[in-house]
Amino acid sequence: MPGSSYRIVEHPVISFKRGRRVVFYYNDRPVEAYIGETILAALYAAGYRVFSYSLDGKRPRGAFCMIGKCGSCLSIVDGVPNTRICIEPVREGVRVYRQEGLPTAPLSKNVVEPVEWEEAEADALIIGGGPAGLIAAKTLGELGLDVVVVDDQPRLGGQLVKQTHRFFGSREYWGGIRGYVIAEKLAREIMGMKNVRVILQGYAYGIYSDNRVGVAVRNPLKHVIVKPKMILAGTGACEKTLWFENNDLPGIMGAGGAQTLMNEYGVRPGDEALVIGSGNVGLIVTYQLLQAGVRVKGLAEIMDHIGGWFVHAAKIRRLGVEFYFKHTIIKAIGSDRVEKAVIAEMDENYQPIPGSEKVFDVDLVLLAVGLQPNYSLFSQAGAAMKYVPELGGLVPVRTWFMETSIPGLYVAGDSSGVEEATTAFIEGEIAALSIALRLGAGNRGVLIEKRRKLLDYLWKEYRQSPVVSRARMGKLKVTVSEEEMEKIRRGEA
Amino acid sequence: MKKGLVIIGAGIIGVMTALNLVEKGYRDIVIVEKKYPGSGGSFRCATGIRASFTSLEHVELMKRSIQLWPLLSEKYNIPYARHGYVWLFTREEDLEMFRCIVDFHNKNGVPTRIVSPEEIAELVPTIKTDQLVGGVYDPLAGKASCFKALLNPLAYILRKGVKLVESTTVYKVLIESGRARGVLTDKGVIEADKVLVAAGYGSKKILRESIGVDLGLRNIPKHALITEGYQGVFKPLLIDWETSSYIVQVLHGGFLIGSSLPEEPDKPPRSRLKYPVKAVNVWIRYFPWLAYTNIMRYWTGYYVMTPDHHPLIGPLSTVENLYIATGFSGHGFMMSPAVGEVMANYILGEKPNVPLVEHLLPDRIIKGRLVKEIAVFG
Repeated sequence: MPGSSYRIVEHPVISFKRGRRVVFYYNDRPVEAYIGETILAALYAAGYRVFSYSLDGKRPRGAFCMIGKCGSCLSIVDGVPNTRICIEPVREGVRVYRQEGLPTAPLSKNVVEPVEWEEAEADALIIGGGPAGLIAAKTLGELGLDVVVVDDQPRLGGQLVKQTHRFFGSREYWGGIRGYVIAEKLAREIMGMKNVRVILQGYAYGIYSDNRVGVAVRNPLKHVIVKPKMILAGTGACEKTLWFENNDLPGIMGAGGAQTLMNEYGVRPGDEALVIGSGNVGLIVTYQLLQAGVRVKGLAEIMDHIGGWFVHAAKIRRLGVEFYFKHTIIKAIGSDRVEKAVIAEMDENYQPIPGSEKVFDVDLVLLAVGLQPNYSLFSQAGAAMKYVPELGGLVPVRTWFMETSIPGLYVAGDSSGVEEATTAFIEGEIAALSIALRLGAGNRGVLIEKRRKLLDYLWKEYRQSPVVSRARMGKLKVTVSEEEMEKIRRGEA
Repeated sequence: MKKGLVIIGAGIIGVMTALNLVEKGYRDIVIVEKKYPGSGGSFRCATGIRASFTSLEHVELMKRSIQLWPLLSEKYNIPYARHGYVWLFTREEDLEMFRCIVDFHNKNGVPTRIVSPEEIAELVPTIKTDQLVGGVYDPLAGKASCFKALLNPLAYILRKGVKLVESTTVYKVLIESGRARGVLTDKGVIEADKVLVAAGYGSKKILRESIGVDLGLRNIPKHALITEGYQGVFKPLLIDWETSSYIVQVLHGGFLIGSSLPEEPDKPPRSRLKYPVKAVNVWIRYFPWLAYTNIMRYWTGYYVMTPDHHPLIGPLSTVENLYIATGFSGHGFMMSPAVGEVMANYILGEKPNVPLVEHLLPDRIIKGRLVKEIAVFG
């Protein structure tokens, strides 16, 4: 209910540094917020759950992705409809209204604000400031190259900012360190480099002839045309949903959406939760829900075994979370938010077995059912693409050095196929070293040796683990030699 | 496969022709499509519909189309609305030229009229008229959903037995003793008694390969964008004459903008990065609030131009049972109901329902008898 607070006061891992307290208005009622958080995070903390209605005005929509990808929180902010309040920072006194159905055009806006126009040259443009982009910016920046980093969010870090667990793997590749700590460290380093320019709330809307890139920037309004010699796009991924009755009820959220609320903004996403999917994301988010003080009433997994790392599963099982194998959600119940969720056991054809239904009284259902790469920029640029289910969807074909069929356009991280932050770091660095080599920066022999070591570790060690064999098979399907890529470019393959 | 008729191209022209044939009881049709239905110009178009042209051929064809649009809309559940067009003039000389054009329209049954900036403000809520000297209003004009206009009739004819072959490229029309006898595709031969080439710019290559005739088609790259959807603001399609730009709020709510940029014919567009800026700058002068809407999609397509900007419609005199419907010069969607009707007439050996379209026979290009038209926008 609006009025009760969902702010997390004590947390075992994170201490939330909240900014100055401000007041803004939601449907003309005052709401308390802290500078640095988004409008949706503040509303959620105050107990709001319905943030818009479907186009026909009938179905309530809640928070789902929390990173500006899904459109279920479109609201009217300062007279501007279709504003994604999950990525819109709060401001003192801003007036926000819930959007119900097709919005009215922003007719009250009668003065066009001037938009600054700039043409910027750079050795390399990095689109996306997540793990792949950050490590690439650091690598290229340290080699003295002029780098521009563009990110559509108000801060750097991508999804690292909500990863509160310690990463696996070798210490050399960030093993043992918490994701958000890595993000803070890398962001600080690249912000401190004179030859690296960071553009936040900048939307790279297209890659055009001669690899020129249009970037639309908010706050302040600006249109930047970047003319880079090389581009690395690490545009990440967005969460998938599932088909079941009432799957759009507020309270049904992507697992990453819940992580944003509780780990980034210190807002408890609900009181009692059901988690769907036991991949690493599902397991980790279950643990994080417990840390945030949410009671997790069950974890349903459609397969007959755990999808993620066993050590994560063991940890949450020790904390008393019940696992339901061969089960998935078939229905959510509630009027304007989830009140109950129903799971059922699946037969060998993945059809629900009648009579096996189990009903949970929950106000939160987290879907941890995989991610889909954000492929649109690569498709728009005209890169050769391939649909690879193991990688979450459509991804660009690339060389071992991460170059796509568009010469000078590189890919790394989840947009190259959904995997993990660790592999995003490694791919980002491989791409950056390849870009540096092409631009003639640094000591050639040293860079080549460094890249060879990374490739060896990635393919011969990290991806040899049976747990990531699916992703490995997927990546093998879209990774080609330089010669094969030349054939693709000439239209011969 | 042996068929009565092969239609090359599942665009709006091919589908409307097949629809008219099916409605007359002729169903032995296969439509061969290079990609998927509507993937050429049909799904990229501005969706505007008007009879206010400057040649009698166009006027007559479009008057018939405008009779048919509401009937099609009713029968196949196609969103269509007679919301009008408004031409906007910022220069006196343009307004003067249009006085003659309005006379021509009125004499030929198209009820356009000159309107003052005050009248424009009434027709177009929220428009800033300070730069305008006047305009022309065409109340007979309208718009329709390009998606439903193609997909709903297509679903209907497929239910009636018409075949659709997708992702199949036609290389040439097979001709034997001066008669069409089928097509050669990348997946083999399809035999048929009659062949209709309705493949847009692709028709050029097919006919060159088949009969060595060059139809003189040129593919002119065009740009369009659409915003997210909003509740209705203004109904008419607007044309800014000075910049050759248009804006229309389509029936599902988005603002669709087209604007002319210099591009080389028959080549991919080069000005893609310039386009959104140009399009937005033209229209925020009239609607400052438009600056606060989000662009949803931006795409390019082609106007398939003929030397006289009139379509090539009808049989070829040199090859029996070979029909052509292409070169609509940016107006194919609006003309498609009437073109579908006359093509069905031709294919069934009847006189065309709109007699003047006999001036638009493809032979005229080969013989150099051109028809004149200046009103091509965007």
